Order: sequence, then C-alpha cells, then structure tokens
Amino acid sequence: MITLKNISFKVPENDNIILSNIDYHIKPHDFVIVLGSNGSGKSSLLKLLDRRYQLTSGEIAVDKKSIARYSNNEFSKTIVTLTQNCHESLFTSLTLFENYLLTKQKHENHLFSLATKKEKTHFAIYLKNFNAKLSDKIDIVVDKLSGGEKQALALSLAVLYPPKILLLDEHTSALDPKSAQQIMELTHQVVSKSNMTCLLTTHDLNIAKSYGNRILALKNGQVHQKIEAPEKDQLTTQALLAACY
Amino acid sequence: MSSLFFSVITQSMTFLPLALGISISYTILRATDMTLDGSFVLGAAIFARLTTLGVPPLLSAACALIAGMLAGMMVSTIQRGGKVDPLLAGILATFILTSGNLVIMGMPNINLLSQTTLFSSAFAKSEFTGWILVSCCSLICCGISLFLISSRLGLLLRALGDNPSLLQRLGKNIEAYRMTGFALTNALAAASGCITAQTVGYADIGMGLGMTLTGIGAIILGQQLVRLAIKKSGARILIEFSACLIGVLFYFFAINCLLRFDVNPIYLKMILGLVLIFFLRAAVTRKLA
Repeated sequence: MITLKNISFKVPENDNIILSNIDYHIKPHDFVIVLGSNGSGKSSLLKLLDRRYQLTSGEIAVDKKSIARYSNNEFSKTIVTLTQNCHESLFTSLTLFENYLLTKQKHENHLFSLATKKEKTHFAIYLKNFNAKLSDKIDIVVDKLSGGEKQALALSLAVLYPPKILLLDEHTSALDPKSAQQIMELTHQVVSKSNMTCLLTTHDLNIAKSYGNRILALKNGQVHQKIEAPEKDQLTTQALLAACY
Repeated sequence: MSSLFFSVITQSMTFLPLALGISISYTILRATDMTLDGSFVLGAAIFARLTTLGVPPLLSAACALIAGMLAGMMVSTIQRGGKVDPLLAGILATFILTSGNLVIMGMPNINLLSQTTLFSSAFAKSEFTGWILVSCCSLICCGISLFLISSRLGLLLRALGDNPSLLQRLGKNIEAYRMTGFALTNALAAASGCITAQTVGYADIGMGLGMTLTGIGAIILGQQLVRLAIKKSGARILIEFSACLIGVLFYFFAINCLLRFDVNPIYLKMILGLVLIFFLRAAVTRKLA
C-alpha cells in the first residue's frame, strides 16, 4: 500500500537533516501510530506523505506508484490529512454547508449549479452521525464553532468520500481531554468502518496503546522501533515509553 | 430635490458594475485589485475607439468586456504563484494599461457626442428613457455576476480567498480560479467604463483615477450601514450586493449634497475620507464591544 524507500529529508534553507534513510512498508487497512519526541521527524514524515514537503532522496509510493506521479485531483482523493490546526482543514470564513459543498467538488465539476435543499438535508443527516449538535449549525460560519466541533466537522468532511489513506497529525492535541477522547473514538469508528489505511502521530501513550495495530517510533530522524500487533497489545504504557523514547 | 435624487441614481447606476467588481475582489477574492482603475478606462477606450471606427455599438461593448477580462487575466498571470505581491501586481498592470489605453485611443480624449451608442436613440426619446436603459444594462451586468457568485464557481472563488492551500489540496487548480475571478471583476470594471463613456459622451485617459479606492470606500460604508440594519447572518450574497448598492448611493448622495452646499470640490475626497475613517473606527469599536 504505502512504501517508504530509503527516504531522507533535509530542510532546504539550512541543510538540517530531519529524516534519514527510512524504510517502511504499510499494508492496506493498517492503523499505524507514529511516536517520537519533539523534533524526531513525525510531522515531517506526514508532510512528505501529503506532498507538502519535497523528499531530498528516496521514494514514497502508494499502490506501487510514486506519489510524485499522482495528479493533484487523483492525489486529493487518495490521501487526506487532518492536523491539530483546523484552519488547515476547513474554510473557516464559510459555513459548514459551504465546506460540505466544496468537499463534494473533489468529485464533481458542476461550476454553475446552485446549492439545493436536498443537498442540505443530506448533509444534516450525514453530520448527525458525527456530532448531533453540529447538524443544527450547518448555516453557521465555521469560525463560530468550538475546537472540538471544528475537529469533528473536519473529520466528517475528510471521510465524506473515504480516501485510501488518512493522515492524522496530532489532530486531538489542541482539544480538552473529553473532546479529545470523543474525537479519537469517532476517528477509530470511521477508520474501521471505511477500511482506510491510517497514520496517526501523537505524544499520548494511552492513544498509542488503545488504538492502531502497529507502532513506528522515530528518534533523531531515524526509525528507532517498530512494534507489530500481537506485541503492541501486550505492552504497558511504561514499557511503551521505555521502548519508544 | 428630485433632480438631486435623479443625479444620485444615474451616477450610481453607471458606477454599480465597477463597485460590484471591487466588492468581489475585496470581499470574496480578498485582494485589493488596483487594475480595476485601468480596466475602467480600458472599457471606455475600447468602446470609444471602435465606435469612432464605425463598429456597431453592441459589438464594441462586447469587445470592451472581453478586453476587461483579458486585463484581469494579465494581472493574475503577473502574480501567478505568489511571485509578485497582489497589490504590486495590480499597480503594475494599471501602469501597463495606462500606456495601452493611450495606444488604443490614439489621443487622451475621444468625443462620443456625435456617435451612435447603445443608449443614443433612447436618450433622443427622453432623458428618462435613456437612463432606464442605462440602469437595465448596468443591472443585467450585475445580475449575471451575482448568478455566477451564487453558483459553485462563486463558492470556489470564496474558498480561494479563504484558504488557497486547502483548495489546492482539494485537487483544484487555484491559478485557474484566480484568473477567472480577476477576469470577472475586470470585465465588470470595463462594463462600467463602457457605460460611463456613453452617458458622459467621451472617453478620457484620466477617468479611472482613484476609482478603486473610491469604490472600496463606498463598499465599506455600505457594509457598515447594512450591518446596522441586518443583524442575522445568511443571505450573504444579497447582503453583499445591498452593501454595494447602498454604499454607492450613499457616496453619490454625499458628493451631490456637498456640491449643492457649495463646498469647494477640492475638499470632497478629504471630507469623504474623514467620514470613512469614522465608519471604520465605529465598526472596530462595535466588534470589540
């Protein structure tokens, strides 16, 4: 599914090495938790997968095709990213419904059509599955939502047309513990239901323990530890801390 | 009094397409497109030149609109990929258009009083009929633009103004949408210039000077007045157009009133600038409260 072939990444401005010689293979429907201390290269890895950063060397392939060879439109349907900053995933000055219409534009090209009531009803029903309160707010500007609501909306739009790969870059870290727990549960549900392949970066070892089937730990830009399913389930939080940091 | 209202409405109708273009650029694309000054003159210049060459008025007007679109595409190409600052790109495009307009006109001023224009036969019947036709043309231009910004295209333009990198990650070609947006706003400016040339009876190289800033001022005034009257959100496009219309009416009403009170025209823009500062400060104070 996703193959990282000896990938390296240097910051072009100062030649700082962020990631070096990473080889890793992710199978379809894997849920990989990426751990590591600050500056270990977790977020950079996801940004390379999302094509926001350019590889210095090596290759990233999805379904045996280099991600550099995907067209913009094809890529947008293959990989979707959610970060802790909702402003990167939503059009915050637009309403919830307008965000939905724009997400639909990924698969449609009706430039001159107007929004219909049927679409609005459809979206309200769809949104109810994610957050019951949100379905009453579809005509409100996104900026007026709480952090948890924004993240639930961003998640709901990310999986409106389930992509093959979902990248989650500490997407719950800016939320209070209760909202973070709710969003994590919601994430787990949608990922399992849609059979997506998922990579999640986090500092929360409880999340790392409770979710996902594999762990990839990075240290100083290199692979420090790879933990697979049966072993992962048996680890305690302390053991995880010792193994990955 | 009725003559005051008549001049306010007639002046507003010729200015309205330009104001809508400025509003789309300022509130939807979130760019201060200074090219609109040049495109306004371009519309007047193309129409005047072609009409004096014997081209039918309708065809001349169509050419003026197309030229406006091309000017918009030019400014978008200049700032493509964020390589040139949008404000600077607009100023550079206006700079280029100043020469371009002179080349098109061949002289700084073209008289249209003896030419057949789109409105000449209507004005020959009566001034009122003439202005009804001018208003219809102006409102048709605005109506088409409002339909476009109400559609998915308009939503994509709003998305471009809000978060271009997210729009790109949705697989959209943001440069194509930027070009479409600027083509639309500059076509509206050219339409306004074309209508103005026919109503005042000439095209002049300096007729666009300060138009964009005047328009932005009128729109800000309109937005503040509309927000005072309408508190709830929704019907955004109607509110935006109302702000545009009310702002333009208010601007020309203020200008005409000041002139009737024998205020020296030298002070007009200074007084309106101070009124604008007052409205902007009031808006910020209201937001903080």
